[in-house]
Amino acid sequence: MKPEISDDLSRRIFLRGAMGVSLFATSGCEKIEDFLGMEPQEGPVVPPSGEGVDLVSHVLNRLTFGPDPSEYARVKGLGVDDESAVAFFLEEQLSPNEIEDKRTQRAVRRLEAIHAPLGELYEYKEDHLLEQLTRATLIRATRSKRQLFEVMVHFWSDHFNIDISKKECRWLKVADDREVVRKHAMGNFSALLKASALSPAMLWYLDGRENRKSGESEKPNENYARELLELHTLGVGGGYTQKDVMEVARCLSGWTVRGKDRFFKGKVEFHADAHDDGAKVVLGNEIASGGGRKDLDDILEIVGMHPSTARFLGRKLCIRFISDDPSEASIKKVAGTFLSSNGNIKETLRAVFATQEFLQGPRAQKLKRPFEFIVSALRGVRARVSSEMDVVDYLIRMGHAPFQYPTPDGYPDIASPWTGTLLWRWHFAIALARNEVSENINVEEEVLIEKAGGVDGLAASLLGRNPSVEEKAAIERSGEPLALLMASPGFQWK
Amino acid sequence: MEMKDTGIISGNGDEQATLVVVFLRGGADGLTLVPPVGNSDYYKVRPTLAVAEKDILKLGDANCGLNPAFSGLLNIYKEGGLTVAPGVGSSDKTRSHFYAQDLMEHGGQLAGGWLGRFLRYREGRPPSALSAVALGKAMPEVLRGAPAATVMESLETFSLGSGSGPTESLQTELGALYGAKENILGPVARDTLQALGRVERLRREDLPPENGAEYRDDSFSNGLRQTARLIKARVGLEAVSIDLNGWDSHIAQSSLISPLMTLLSEGLAAFHRDLGELMNAVTVVVMTEFGRRVAENSSFGTDHGRGGSMFVMGGSERGNVLGEMPVIETGILVGPGDVPVVTDYRDLLSPILIRHGAGRAMDKIFPEN
Repeated sequence: MKPEISDDLSRRIFLRGAMGVSLFATSGCEKIEDFLGMEPQEGPVVPPSGEGVDLVSHVLNRLTFGPDPSEYARVKGLGVDDESAVAFFLEEQLSPNEIEDKRTQRAVRRLEAIHAPLGELYEYKEDHLLEQLTRATLIRATRSKRQLFEVMVHFWSDHFNIDISKKECRWLKVADDREVVRKHAMGNFSALLKASALSPAMLWYLDGRENRKSGESEKPNENYARELLELHTLGVGGGYTQKDVMEVARCLSGWTVRGKDRFFKGKVEFHADAHDDGAKVVLGNEIASGGGRKDLDDILEIVGMHPSTARFLGRKLCIRFISDDPSEASIKKVAGTFLSSNGNIKETLRAVFATQEFLQGPRAQKLKRPFEFIVSALRGVRARVSSEMDVVDYLIRMGHAPFQYPTPDGYPDIASPWTGTLLWRWHFAIALARNEVSENINVEEEVLIEKAGGVDGLAASLLGRNPSVEEKAAIERSGEPLALLMASPGFQWK
Repeated sequence: MEMKDTGIISGNGDEQATLVVVFLRGGADGLTLVPPVGNSDYYKVRPTLAVAEKDILKLGDANCGLNPAFSGLLNIYKEGGLTVAPGVGSSDKTRSHFYAQDLMEHGGQLAGGWLGRFLRYREGRPPSALSAVALGKAMPEVLRGAPAATVMESLETFSLGSGSGPTESLQTELGALYGAKENILGPVARDTLQALGRVERLRREDLPPENGAEYRDDSFSNGLRQTARLIKARVGLEAVSIDLNGWDSHIAQSSLISPLMTLLSEGLAAFHRDLGELMNAVTVVVMTEFGRRVAENSSFGTDHGRGGSMFVMGGSERGNVLGEMPVIETGILVGPGDVPVVTDYRDLLSPILIRHGAGRAMDKIFPEN
């Protein structure tokens, strides 16, 4: 059943949501379980009961890594009807810092390496850093109440992809995750872009550190300049030329990062003597000679708020949240808001969620990528996970381990590249339901069924709707409801 | 490069050509696997370890030959099914097993392996459930990043939900549910269930090898045997990784690697014979992270070096020696006295990957090359 929401109504929803935000912002209170590391008391489980995915389930599917069993009822209770409930939820999620999330923070704090200051990161073994960063990513995605924030972290990690195995990214990606992606994930795009441009890991990953022009013969390294235009801002076909790439490279020459065999390792520096200080023209904008380090700001201002950038990012956000093939109308709206809000990421997200296509378009038709599939399963069954690395094994087998994508374009966000992962999704679903992933991951199928009021309730809570007649029959015949449900087609889509 | 034309290898019935990567871990001694012919310096620096000139299996008028342990491969060479490549290696100068293996499996300083990237980026339809298989206990680096890779020690231990409990009813119900929905997962589910069914049938029937092939009973030969079974069962196998460990011969090299060379030779020969005509759609690459020091050490062994020897079997190989064995006189040796790398391993692999359909993906598979 698709809810009928007019443009007008959707606007009202957001106004109502905005007014109500303070009602629950401080709702978190510390519980004794938090200190004992136990799973906290969950709220009542009232599974969805529609024939199709209703608005609340749809929003939970798309804005989070999948609902846990009591989340549907909690969100439903936020408003007098689905529309207002969803609006409240959106406002809650758009202010992540006001959401109490101490348990997640405590769990992550134990991973001490990822909190080390930049220079000290080099004191850790690379494998240890990758493990801790990967574990933190999984803990946050699985447990954090700031779900939309974590989804955006995931989005930007792909957008500004860094393959952690390249050179000193092995140490520096940790800082990039913390100071670039997480710091600006729901902030301002220009700030995010600048942080990324000056991220020590990015300077290594796309060879920015090699980009220097000290003499006539030296040619700037164009790698970062090209990806900046092609992948981070304007996008292919965004109206730049090879000449623009070369001019951007000239503007950015001289920025470098100190290697690990030097003092102040990982420190980003501008070397005026390696900077091409002549006049440049980028996308028709003249940049006067003598700009020095300021060239970087000029460039980022030109490309960051370029209409092509708005379109490119708008399209990617629509693909992320709406569909693999979003409509022109949606992209236009989102791009428009991106520009009018000066790259305000929250406002841009509001625009995505206010599109007709998001509210009324097809539901449960975005294929969960392997990471989302696994996290949604862990959340959906409230799995107790004490060793995240056992889960990573499955992610590696499905080719979706965090920070391990080899090319700068980031993991694909559409269905077709991921269809080959079905067998391993089934393996994981069955192993998880049978408590065979590892002894450190526990699921209590009987308890889940009981709390959901029966097998159909469990199905509804995992699928976001009542199971169909066929699904009910298959569940019963299989003899393993939970395994079948998580392996079933209904659970692969969000 | 003497590699032959770059026509695409056609598949073996399920339209998939299969690339098998055999990794000799530990750094196999290239000068023992493929000894130089007519090179007096070789006997000076290898007083106890050199292969006697009369024992070397000659490869036409090439300046290197095969170790006598590879007698099983000589016929394949003569029939045109084997390429021998001396002096192959990477740019790694650390001579560390860990770094050199990682570098060679990743194909540069990149996340995941080149075989994984081949599967992700190559042209044609997306990989299927059993496109990539590693025979062993853990996922090798070379396959890391593949959109779907399966690790199995043998077909006997591989099934859906490979732990306890019945899975037949789950498979039946999954088939029904995926079949009822019209979306892109439907055909994939059908293929996946079919592949599982074929693997199960293989397991039950346990057909003997064909054409009189006899596999030895060791884990390497067994891995090749499983691979041949999967290829014959047409489960859509495209990439296989198998390790043969133990080549790090610092001490008493002969007694250490002679049996390994026999394993390698007999395993490959049995595989070649077993597959018969199907070998046209299969390429086997035998690689190692580095060769070893030219001069033997005081404990009748050799230490870590640079250029090593590799083999390519099957596919549309013509049977030749790729490049030349580098001369080993002092002036030409690198570092502490190592065989120079005359062929980058990626130059050996690139034409093979292109024949297996990499197409325009080559710049993503080896972006640094």
